[in-house]
Amino acid sequence: MKVQYNKLVAVIMITGSLLIQSCSKDEPAPSPVTSPAKGLYVLSEGGGDSKLGYYNKTTGAFLGDFFNQQNGSNLGQIGNDMIQYGGKSYIVMNTTGNVTVIDHSTGLLLRRINFVNLVPGRLPRYAIAHQGKVFVSAQDGTVSVIDTASLDITRTITVGSNPEEMAISGDKLFVTNSGGFNFPNYDSTLSVINLNTLVETGKIRVGINPRKITADDNGNLYIVATGDYVTVPSSIVKVNAATETVSFRADTAVSTIRYYNNALFVTNDFPYTGLSSNVRMLRISDFSNMSAGFIADATAITTPYGLEIDDNNGDVYITDAKDFVVSGEVFCFDKLGNKRFSFTVSPGVNPNSVVFIR
Amino acid sequence: MGRQRPGSKSEDLPGKFIHLKLSGERLEKQFCIPWYVLPFGIPCLFSLIIVLRIPVLILLLFGSLPILAQSRLGKDTLTPVKVWAAKPVMEANAAIPVQQLDQEKLNRLNSLSVADAAKYFSGVVVKDYGGIGGLKTVSVRSLGANHTGVMYDGLMMNDAQAGQTDLGRFSIDNISLIQLFNPHQPSLLQPARNFSYAAILSMTSRVEEINKHSELTAKIRGGSFGFFNPSIYFAQPIKGGLSVSGNAEMQVTDGDYPFRDYETGNASVRRVNSDVKNYRLETDVAYQLKDSGLFKAKVYFYDDKRGLPGAVVLYNRNAGDRLNSRLFFTQASWRKKITSKSQVLVSGKYTADQKYYLDPNFPNSAGKIENDFRQKEYYFSAVYATQLTEGLGFSLASDYQYNQLRRNDPFATGFANPNRGVLMTNLALKYERNRYHLFSNLLFTGTADKVATGKAAKPYRELTPSLAASVRLTAHSPLRLRLSYKSIFRLPTFDDLYYTNVGNTSLSPEYAQCYNIGLTGQWQQQRYLQRFFFTADIYYNQVRDKILALPRQNLFQWSMQNIGLVNIKGADLAVQADFGKQVSLQTSVHLSYSYQDARDFSNPSSVLYKTQLPYTPKHSGSVNLGFSWKAYTIGYNVLLSSYRYRAGEPNNSNLVKEWATHDLSVRYALPIKKNFNVQILAELNNIFNQQYEIIRYYPMPGRNYRVGISFSKK
Repeated sequence: MKVQYNKLVAVIMITGSLLIQSCSKDEPAPSPVTSPAKGLYVLSEGGGDSKLGYYNKTTGAFLGDFFNQQNGSNLGQIGNDMIQYGGKSYIVMNTTGNVTVIDHSTGLLLRRINFVNLVPGRLPRYAIAHQGKVFVSAQDGTVSVIDTASLDITRTITVGSNPEEMAISGDKLFVTNSGGFNFPNYDSTLSVINLNTLVETGKIRVGINPRKITADDNGNLYIVATGDYVTVPSSIVKVNAATETVSFRADTAVSTIRYYNNALFVTNDFPYTGLSSNVRMLRISDFSNMSAGFIADATAITTPYGLEIDDNNGDVYITDAKDFVVSGEVFCFDKLGNKRFSFTVSPGVNPNSVVFIR
Repeated sequence: MGRQRPGSKSEDLPGKFIHLKLSGERLEKQFCIPWYVLPFGIPCLFSLIIVLRIPVLILLLFGSLPILAQSRLGKDTLTPVKVWAAKPVMEANAAIPVQQLDQEKLNRLNSLSVADAAKYFSGVVVKDYGGIGGLKTVSVRSLGANHTGVMYDGLMMNDAQAGQTDLGRFSIDNISLIQLFNPHQPSLLQPARNFSYAAILSMTSRVEEINKHSELTAKIRGGSFGFFNPSIYFAQPIKGGLSVSGNAEMQVTDGDYPFRDYETGNASVRRVNSDVKNYRLETDVAYQLKDSGLFKAKVYFYDDKRGLPGAVVLYNRNAGDRLNSRLFFTQASWRKKITSKSQVLVSGKYTADQKYYLDPNFPNSAGKIENDFRQKEYYFSAVYATQLTEGLGFSLASDYQYNQLRRNDPFATGFANPNRGVLMTNLALKYERNRYHLFSNLLFTGTADKVATGKAAKPYRELTPSLAASVRLTAHSPLRLRLSYKSIFRLPTFDDLYYTNVGNTSLSPEYAQCYNIGLTGQWQQQRYLQRFFFTADIYYNQVRDKILALPRQNLFQWSMQNIGLVNIKGADLAVQADFGKQVSLQTSVHLSYSYQDARDFSNPSSVLYKTQLPYTPKHSGSVNLGFSWKAYTIGYNVLLSSYRYRAGEPNNSNLVKEWATHDLSVRYALPIKKNFNVQILAELNNIFNQQYEIIRYYPMPGRNYRVGISFSKK
């Protein structure tokens, strides 16, 4: 019996150690790349953690966790927006509460500008650059001004509640105030900031829950007032930047909006309602469809999430969030709507921004 | 361990009563209630008045009437006292898979809550966000937490809002037995609701099994991260079969345990907002009636304040969310023998549950958001069980429950404030003869919902059967073969149906089909090896119309839908050996292993089609070694889990790594006096200081210790 007992103990130990070994899954850690060639950065906000991916246009290769590969650290939670200005790129980390600044050509971390340690803590949403400054909207009802040389926050301007996207027209910065966190009492205004004095000069009433905005070359702004998701439908509102008045309005189910070359490129907000096309081009005059859909070939996009246009050649990039759980995909179309290429951004979930590396 | 003889008759009686004869010992202090009972009575009465208001006072009044009547009649004679006890069963003898942790095993585990202890059961996945606080729910055999029922002293706990019970709320301080039944306990004298789950986790409190002696135990424990845990327990037989007992406990911890930071992986940082402070107060009354019937009642109050520490993707400085919860319930049961072959069990329960959530950093104009949910449940059950012929019995049970949910915060715009009535009727049949065991039930469930605003869910009508059979291979074989099938469903919860903008009132129930085949074996009374048993089961489960949240229009708009289909194949293996008959060193070894292949078949066009369910390890297991030598009791416990993935595709980014924890506990009983027992205990947890995650980005505590001392006077 004694012998059996010892055997049993031995069996336990062996079983235990085998179990540990057979159940591991080793992650190979990719080594940093020296300098990315021509291509794209794709920011995916993630289901829990955000990813910055790098797509090599020449080879078609995609590095899904490029930020981590270059810097040995995670980005954080809900990377909501990314812009390039000069030799730097600014990644707006919403839940983690910082603006992560990287060297645009290498992807190396320059600084994390902390928004959470401020009093009160801020949750940044979007960024826009203008003359040596990056403006960052934050959910506490502010727009912070970052000096792009020192990377310090030099000023914070109070706007409406829960500001989202911003646009610049002339010497004015326009900020959408969604008030989304005061549901059901949404905000409905656009804050106007004088870019010379950095002071909010007024508010324009545009319709409830404004979130997206784009500016054309002729002093007009196009704002998506998202509505309340229940009774008030989504609409596009046209505002004259000089007179600060609403000049046109039409109901339309739009999520993202970008002005390019006398047209508005929009993505639809209803991926599950079976619209034949979920990316459209609208006339700037009355927001009517220029064609049934922008996509000319048989390419199907499940959930258009982000939209970017390459000013150099008019290529349109659409990011597809799929079912918000699995890896997203990026599609590139020429200006006629024919697919040029596409790639999956694994392991990135919910890709929302595309930034060019030229 | 339950050391009854296999097939002993008491085990097979309907109901869960053990008849114990009180030996000639005279109870001297029968008439005086000791001073230390009073502090329990006052807060209980207080909480009764505050929380219960009228309905429960009626219930208690109703309950105490027989006591008053009986005590007047009661003669000062010493009758055999029958103690109400949920007893340990022989795992290898059960027609239905059962796993259990009895007092002896629980003493050797370093667990604080029932959720920690449940991790040692095979087939169980516990969601754990770290620390002693935090929501901890269990999913058995990949069916999901909503299909696992939690039973406390014979009656189910129910959360109509979320449909899952937070096991982090139950301390094991007062628990003497934890059992896991797949799918239910095969006994006739049970309420209908006890048959309405695909798995039952049963907790039996310590008060259930004593009360023939008076006892007073005080315990205090302290440990790492500001852990402080005093508790007191008393039991007092009062007069002629009437006894009371009570238990009070406080658990406090700062929960600020260190972990390697996620930015560089080098520096040690501390978890923030992981503090917990909770109190528990429990009082029981049991009364042995002259007609051999039994009445028992319980009052339970729990108050818990804790921080929600948040995910650490990069760093975690802004976690400030708080969750305060309160649970009050009182339950009473009365069992009466009608004839020599039949008996009835009547039970009632009232539950009041409050969950208050605060996000103090919410970017709205109030600067915060609050959710204040209050639930009430009234529950009543009557069961009739009878023995038809030798070995064949049946029971008929009928339950009614009424649930209501209210939201009481300023942010509750347009909340439905739902009410639900549920009627359940159950017919159970049990046959036990020679080598054969058979247990079957048929459950009818009918519901009706009513809401203050919006649309109410349609009424549900369901009829669901189960069948279990087991046979001893030959008349004297130690081996048994068992087979079982259960068809069951879970109702859409109030959250599924009425959660603002997310709920969907046209949901159907979520159905589960469970098949099990197993082989068990048991050998006893060998020489040095005192007992050896194994259980081996393989199972197949299918969950269809699984209720999942789907984005409706965009990330702001989700909706609950019946779209999931999950196929689960698995195996549970357990082996236990107890050594040490006739020697001073007693050793017990328990091994369990679980294999789960749980795949998502919901959407053939999704990349998730046929992938393993999130957070479900393929392999997991546990090793428990127990030693007892002279005055020492030593436990060495290992938990093992293979890698698994969080929600999403099975890629490196979603990988949650394999882990193993090793815990050691030592108890030493100081030899003082026969009736006065002092125990010193020391626990070392996560000995190898492994930093691991059960939920991705929620680091678990590393190496930590606890020490304590308990004084017990009998």
